[in-house]
Amino acid sequence: MSVRGVLAVIGVECAKLRFQRTARIALAACVAGPFAFAIAMRLQNALPEDTLFGRSVKESGFATPLVVLGFAALWVFPALTSVVGGDLFSAEDRYRTWATLLTRSRSRAEVFCGKVVTALGFSSLGVLALAASSLAAGMLVIGRQPLVDLSGALLLPGQALARVVVAWASVLPPAFAFTALAILLSIATRSSAAGIGLPVVAGLLMQLSAYVDGPEAIRRLLITSAFGAWHGVLTTQPYCRPLVCGTAVSGAYVAVCLAIAYRLLSRRDIGG
Amino acid sequence: MLEQTALEAAGISKRYGAREALRRVDLVARPGRLHGLLGPNGAGKTTLMRVLLGLVTRDAGTVRVLGRTVDSTAGPVPDGVAGFVETPAVYPYLSGRQNLALLARLDGDKAPRQGDSIGQILEQVGLAAQADDAVSSYSAGMRQRVGLAAALLRSPRLLLLDEPTNFLDPAGGRDVRALLRRLADQGVAVVLSSHDMSEVEELCADLTILHLGQVIFSGTADQLRALALATVHELHTSDDHAALDLAARQPGVKVAADGKGSGLEVVADVAALDAYVVALGRVGVAVRSLVRRARAFESLFLELTGQRTRSARLDEPIERQSPAVTS
Repeated sequence: MSVRGVLAVIGVECAKLRFQRTARIALAACVAGPFAFAIAMRLQNALPEDTLFGRSVKESGFATPLVVLGFAALWVFPALTSVVGGDLFSAEDRYRTWATLLTRSRSRAEVFCGKVVTALGFSSLGVLALAASSLAAGMLVIGRQPLVDLSGALLLPGQALARVVVAWASVLPPAFAFTALAILLSIATRSSAAGIGLPVVAGLLMQLSAYVDGPEAIRRLLITSAFGAWHGVLTTQPYCRPLVCGTAVSGAYVAVCLAIAYRLLSRRDIGG
Repeated sequence: MLEQTALEAAGISKRYGAREALRRVDLVARPGRLHGLLGPNGAGKTTLMRVLLGLVTRDAGTVRVLGRTVDSTAGPVPDGVAGFVETPAVYPYLSGRQNLALLARLDGDKAPRQGDSIGQILEQVGLAAQADDAVSSYSAGMRQRVGLAAALLRSPRLLLLDEPTNFLDPAGGRDVRALLRRLADQGVAVVLSSHDMSEVEELCADLTILHLGQVIFSGTADQLRALALATVHELHTSDDHAALDLAARQPGVKVAADGKGSGLEVVADVAALDAYVVALGRVGVAVRSLVRRARAFESLFLELTGQRTRSARLDEPIERQSPAVTS
């Protein structure tokens, strides 16, 4: 396997993505959604008070990306991070193009790595677009006022911005874990519906199971737990243990899912 | 310097569960030669092509292409090797040209024919006018041409093609056959899988016939022709009994009632058949119709693969060529 080979596959996958409507719509929604939310908040009287930082959405523009972050963790991230990862491999089954792809000068390992990097790259781009858009929407629609953190202390705009950036960065590992899960399901089932849909269902089930009494260790092993790890960053004395734990769990999901996915792909007979 | 053999596959076996798709199959293709891979549906032709292209793992055997041993499905297809199996598929939302550009990109700097040459190849396969249309609007024949163009993009020295003239109109089929001949003239080894006897007979100097996953003939087309001594005809006369009696005294002619009362089966070469027809006239038996039922090549193929039709029921079994007879 060569880096040049992987880069060639990434180039091809990115070129294909540019022509795909689903990916473009997903990114457009990431950009437009937060602005629609911020404008709605600005115009209406009611506030999303049962959400973290929901009370602050009219007081500080820095609250907007945090409210969006809390909401996105429920189902947007599993869907956003699966939309490409869950389709990138199974699309070759849908179009029956595996034989075409694998009779070029690229090994299966290079094709796998190229597609995985593309999927992870798209997930990063989606999270980045949502983060940048929600931050921009908060700044432009609400303003750059100081933010009251979860401990009740006032964060100056510079401090608030840094915390918001760290909070959004903390969701990248679990986002990658969902992407890896989507890739595995896409390869195992050879179906884009399963590759995209099942991670979303899995995400919802993980969210629901968090409300059920059970061992704390089990709860920590759920990918969705890592989506809430950013809460520790928004306190006066930040605590990072959930962040570290969530990142480790996400890393394990990524490693296990991709290892199984590669094994399945490398051993597969490409039939008609 | 040209390699002595472009492809050497030896003892290839492949099993799908209880079904043995390939059993100790050998195949040798030489530079500058068109090699026909023949067999009825389910004979294992496509599975063998998949094994050779590294799409399917083999259970046993070795594959050596262009002097290089191919170990498994994990590696890339070696440089200079190209082809497709069944109907070649590309991305329907892209144009033919865009698809080829992406495939050239996958080949990276290993494919010398890029950029402007995509246009030349599209011209070569007769797709230049529709090159910028989305593939989703292409007919099956046009998709076949895209597949062929994608293979040519790799500047192949070994070309493995599974039914390349499928879906093509007669003119398109003729163009592709001419293209394959040109490639062979330039030193490319072409392995052509087909069940179209006339196409293979027209194009290929070397043949391998597969049946139920096994090689039942391997050699040159001339060697196969030498086995095809007779042609089968259906004969209708004014007096079939007299015609049968006469046949018993006529050298080189085997005649039998077809069992359904609709004529006679005559197995004879052209000279013997002519003599038989003249003799029938002499004894006052009128020939009402004489129709060739199967071409010699085809009837032999049917015989070898155990697919004899009632018209090709030869009295003497043809010697099976297993293990393969090589030229």
